[in-house]
Amino acid sequence: MTCNTDLLRDYAFDELPLSDRPAMQRHISECADCAAELDQLRLTTAALRVLPDQEPPQRIAFVSDKVFVPSRLWNWAPWLGFASAGVMAAALVFTVAHRPVEIRTVVQTAAFQPVDDIVKKAVQQVREEDAQLFTAALKASETKHEREHQILMDAVAMFQQSNNTRAITEAAGQ
Amino acid sequence: MIFRAVEDADLIQRVRKGDVEAFNHLVSLWEKRVFNYLLRLTGSPDDSLDLSQDVFLKAYQNIRKLDDTARFGPWLFRIAHNEAYSHFRKRRPEADRDDAERMEREPARTVAPELTLAVTSALDRLSPEQREAVVLKVYQGFKFEEMAEILAIPVSTIKSRLYTALDLLKIELAPTNSRGMR
Repeated sequence: MTCNTDLLRDYAFDELPLSDRPAMQRHISECADCAAELDQLRLTTAALRVLPDQEPPQRIAFVSDKVFVPSRLWNWAPWLGFASAGVMAAALVFTVAHRPVEIRTVVQTAAFQPVDDIVKKAVQQVREEDAQLFTAALKASETKHEREHQILMDAVAMFQQSNNTRAITEAAGQ
Repeated sequence: MIFRAVEDADLIQRVRKGDVEAFNHLVSLWEKRVFNYLLRLTGSPDDSLDLSQDVFLKAYQNIRKLDDTARFGPWLFRIAHNEAYSHFRKRRPEADRDDAERMEREPARTVAPELTLAVTSALDRLSPEQREAVVLKVYQGFKFEEMAEILAIPVSTIKSRLYTALDLLKIELAPTNSRGMR
C-alpha cells in the first residue's frame, strides 16, 4: 500500500471500509510519515474537543395545542384530495349549466332598475319645471304687452280727445 | 447509536399519533446536540436557543414527511442547518458585532483557557462551510453520508472542506498542541 493522505484521514475518522482497514494498519506500522500524520490529526481533533458542549440555558418543551397537533385528517388526505377535486368538478359543471352570464345580467338589471326610475323622474321633473317657467314667462309677456297696449290706447284716446277739444274751441272761436 | 435510532423511531411513531409527550422526550434526547451545533455556528447562546426552538417546532410540524425514521438525526440537523443559514441571511451587521463582543466578554466555560481561546480563534479563521464540516464531524460525530444529507452536497465536497479545514487547524493549533496536550 502506498501513502494516501485522504485514505489515512478516512481511517482516522473511522470512515474507511472494514475490508481496507487491515492494509491501512499495516501501512501505518511500516510508514513513519503516515504514522506521524495520523498522530498529528488525532492531536488536532483532540485539541478541538477541548471546547466542551454547553447546556442549553432553557429546556425546550411543547404543550398540547390543537393548532400544532397533527390532525387525524392526514390519514384521509388522499381521499380528501379526490373529494375536493370532485366538488370542484361538480361546481364547474353546475356553473356552466346555469349560464352565469344570465345570472349576472339579472343581477345587473335589478341593481340598475331604481337608477333608471330616478333618472326618468328627474328628467320629467325638469321638463315640467321648464314648461311651468315657459308658461309663466309667456303669461308675464302677454300681461306686459296688454298693459303697454292699454297705455298706448289710453294715449291715443287722450290725443283724440285733445284734438276734439281743440277743434271744438276753434269752431267756437270762428 | 442503533439503540438511539430505535428509540427515535418508536417516539416518532407515537408523535405521529398525536402524542406530544413523546415529542418532548425526543426533544430532550436531541436538544443539547442541536443547541451546541447552532452555538458553534452562530456563536450566540440566545440565537442558538431561539433557533433550536424553531428547529424543533418545524420538526414537529413536518414529522410526517420524514420517510425513514431511522434517519431522524440527519433530518433534524438538515432543518437546523437551514434555520442557521436563514438566520445568517437575515442577521444585521450590528448583530454580528454584538455577538463578537459578547464572545470576547464571555469565553466558553473551559478547563484550559489558553487552549480554549486558541481553538476558538482557530475555528473563527475557517470559512463558515469549513467550520460547519468540522462541527458536524468532530463535535457531532456524523458519518460523511449523513453530513451529505444534512448539507445536501456530495461526500467528496464534504471531505474536501473537512480536510482543508483540518490542515489549517493543524497549523494554527500546532504550538498549542505541543504545550497543552503534553
